[in-house]
Amino acid sequence: MFLKVGVIVALAACALGLAYKIRLWLTVAIGPEAQGISAGQRAAAALKGLGRAILSPRLGAMLKALALDGLLQRRVWNHSRLAWLTHICIFVGFLGLLLLHALGDVLAKHVFSGYQPTVNPYLFLRNLCGALVLAGVGLAIYRRATLPGLKLTTRGLDRLALVLLAVIILSGFALEGLKIVSHQSFERMVKEYPPAGGEPAEVAALEAYWAREFGVAFPDGRGQGGAQALEMGRKLHEETCADCHAPAQWAFLAYGLGKALGPAGVSLSGTGEEALWYLHVLASLLGLAILPFTKFLHLFTTPLLLAVRAGIDRKQLSPANLATLRAYELDACMHCSVCSVHCSVGVAYPEVGNQNILPGEKLAALMRLCGARPGAPSPRELRLIRQGAYICTSCLRCTNLCTAGINLQDLWLAMKADLARQGLGSTYHDVRQALGRAAQPSRLTPVVRLGNGQPAIHKELKASALAGNFSSCYKCITCSNACPVVHMYPRPLEELDLLPHQIMHCLGLGLKEEAMGARMTWNCLTCYHCQEACPQGVLVADILYELRHLASPQAADLEV
Amino acid sequence: MRYAFFPGCKIPYYVPHYGASSRRVLQELGIELVDLEFNCCGYPMSHLYYQSSLLAAARALAMAEAQGLDVLTPCKCCFGSFKRSMHALSQEPERRRQVAEELAKEGLAFPVKSQVKHLLSVLYHDLGLPALRQRVTRPYQHLKVAVLYGCHALRPSRVTGFDHPYAPTIIDQLVEVTGAQSIAWAGKLSCCGAPLLEHNPELSLAIINRRLSECREGGADVLAIACPYSQMQAERAYAVPRPAADRELVTGAVLYPQLLGLAMGLTSEDLTLSLNTPDAGYLLSFLSGA
Repeated sequence: MFLKVGVIVALAACALGLAYKIRLWLTVAIGPEAQGISAGQRAAAALKGLGRAILSPRLGAMLKALALDGLLQRRVWNHSRLAWLTHICIFVGFLGLLLLHALGDVLAKHVFSGYQPTVNPYLFLRNLCGALVLAGVGLAIYRRATLPGLKLTTRGLDRLALVLLAVIILSGFALEGLKIVSHQSFERMVKEYPPAGGEPAEVAALEAYWAREFGVAFPDGRGQGGAQALEMGRKLHEETCADCHAPAQWAFLAYGLGKALGPAGVSLSGTGEEALWYLHVLASLLGLAILPFTKFLHLFTTPLLLAVRAGIDRKQLSPANLATLRAYELDACMHCSVCSVHCSVGVAYPEVGNQNILPGEKLAALMRLCGARPGAPSPRELRLIRQGAYICTSCLRCTNLCTAGINLQDLWLAMKADLARQGLGSTYHDVRQALGRAAQPSRLTPVVRLGNGQPAIHKELKASALAGNFSSCYKCITCSNACPVVHMYPRPLEELDLLPHQIMHCLGLGLKEEAMGARMTWNCLTCYHCQEACPQGVLVADILYELRHLASPQAADLEV
Repeated sequence: MRYAFFPGCKIPYYVPHYGASSRRVLQELGIELVDLEFNCCGYPMSHLYYQSSLLAAARALAMAEAQGLDVLTPCKCCFGSFKRSMHALSQEPERRRQVAEELAKEGLAFPVKSQVKHLLSVLYHDLGLPALRQRVTRPYQHLKVAVLYGCHALRPSRVTGFDHPYAPTIIDQLVEVTGAQSIAWAGKLSCCGAPLLEHNPELSLAIINRRLSECREGGADVLAIACPYSQMQAERAYAVPRPAADRELVTGAVLYPQLLGLAMGLTSEDLTLSLNTPDAGYLLSFLSGA
């Protein structure tokens, strides 16, 4: 009764969660193309598109992707053999337990004639599957605890999934082990299926046999017997029990666990079994109930995405289907962090220290940005997301490696467009604006301020081996004449505030704001014409670079 | 000859035709490329995240050095950035110490031996013009090519050492090997505008438009490029609808390995000419025997 109600409640919760997810797939809008399309239009377009893909010659490619990338997990294999082993252990083990054990009464019983959880091969397979899941969970914990990239990015949902799996499997093994050695279970069975005559002597003989062969722990000296009793027990066992009970040793892990309990098995029998049963069932039902909001969802969403992407051409998708696909892709991510571990700009992490650089974390931020996850980013978080979005070079590596087949590149480009719509263009652009504004008041002053003593900017520039020789400049204007940016404007001063030779002059005078705020400094192409041409060997382009580097703290302010 | 191939970040998504044609031509010339999982060269982060850009360059070179390889990159900006970062690190002991410390965490040694070479330097210096000449089986006839030298390869010349900063000839010679004529034109040593692509798109586009019309004025049939950024710039310029008053642009931009490969007898499919914007198939009509 408890189980029935529990299953119904958990299934209902799971269905509600799925309905919520489907609503998100049809309403979340990422990127300019996705805006202003109703959920109804998107649902209709998605059904039509899916139907067309299934009826097209690409069905073969879709099924192949489902088999190779979904079932055999080729993309994980290509990434790392250890990751594949970890994942396949959990996948095969869990699926086996689901079909042979959890759905034993509703599925296995009808499919396999003579199905009994306590006979082979089911008894053995259940232990094998459980052992596989445990091995996989162990490997996953090992990988997440030791590999630097994974350690860095492991978060709550990753831990929840592993803990939940571990609790379900360990409680299951403990329960089975305790049942094996439980005298109360033995007594219940004897009551239900009494041996031949059901005389006390016969029961005692059977007890002796089961104590020796199955490891049942009996209280008060019961379960003892000489060769004669054992022989009688064996006969009774074969008549009454053997049809439904393979040797308990086949349940290799559970049997070992039960034996390890020793005499404690006697006292734990009954209440211990009950407690473990509740723990096992509740953990399993909890997993089912919250499935749509855990990593377990990817068991369904990822294979479907892998199949769909093989059947469609993303460039040909209608805006409605592109919108739906982007929203759906967010739920195909299982946070394996392959993208983050291999990110080509991950090398900036030690300096920048912003997790949004890493694709897997940036995707989590995108989920909140577009409303697919609760918790809209604060202004500060938005700037950190922007920093991550703009350090990305669109090199395509994360997209090529994604084990779920998510087109991350497309998501990043759409995300940048969305950020820009919210007024968050590139950091570079904002730093340029802010410094330009800071330079304005002094630029309106007709008399040039003279720096006093040793201006701060001298110290800052001299600290760099490449930017210290601005004072060699004798204002011959060669650099400004060589500059292709200056060439682009008929009246360059109006567009650039200062020309390169004037910036060198400003630096000599210690006028930091003017030099750093000049649009010339921020429109430098880094073509090095100025530096190459300078008769004095002033490293003009390197100095302009250094002026931008000195703005990094301002950039950090804009980001944090 | 064996090199670690450093495609850079723009080739995989934006300019796959450069990657494909470079690999095909180098394979044909017997130059072996080794693919390592490199990080970014550091160039895109060099404005605001200087220390990261230095670490990035040193890390990639360290990875190649661990394999005993030099780095071959088809990107002028990657090439220049590697050169400038390694130069900066040689001048700044404190930054170098920090970078070496960060590398040591991964078991990498600060690179001292491995060099970065641009694709064209490898063809010109390591393979040599005579070897190339032998492979040209169907030279171009009457093809006038404008070459763009590329800022980050040429300058600062004391750091990059690619060619003479004011009178470079390497690319002209590499073009003439194919039978084409390398013309004199105004923008040969100038900038394509790519560095401002994200920061000032209008100015960036105006600069590449000016280059493309200078090519036309110089009488070129085509602009030859050996940098993904410059190619992206050119293709973007062709993709933008133009006002009628705008001066006409040169017919199109091709990547040097595409130009060379066709003259070596490779097909337009081998060299993915159809991926160029506009399609670079027009080159075929200039081949002898066409």
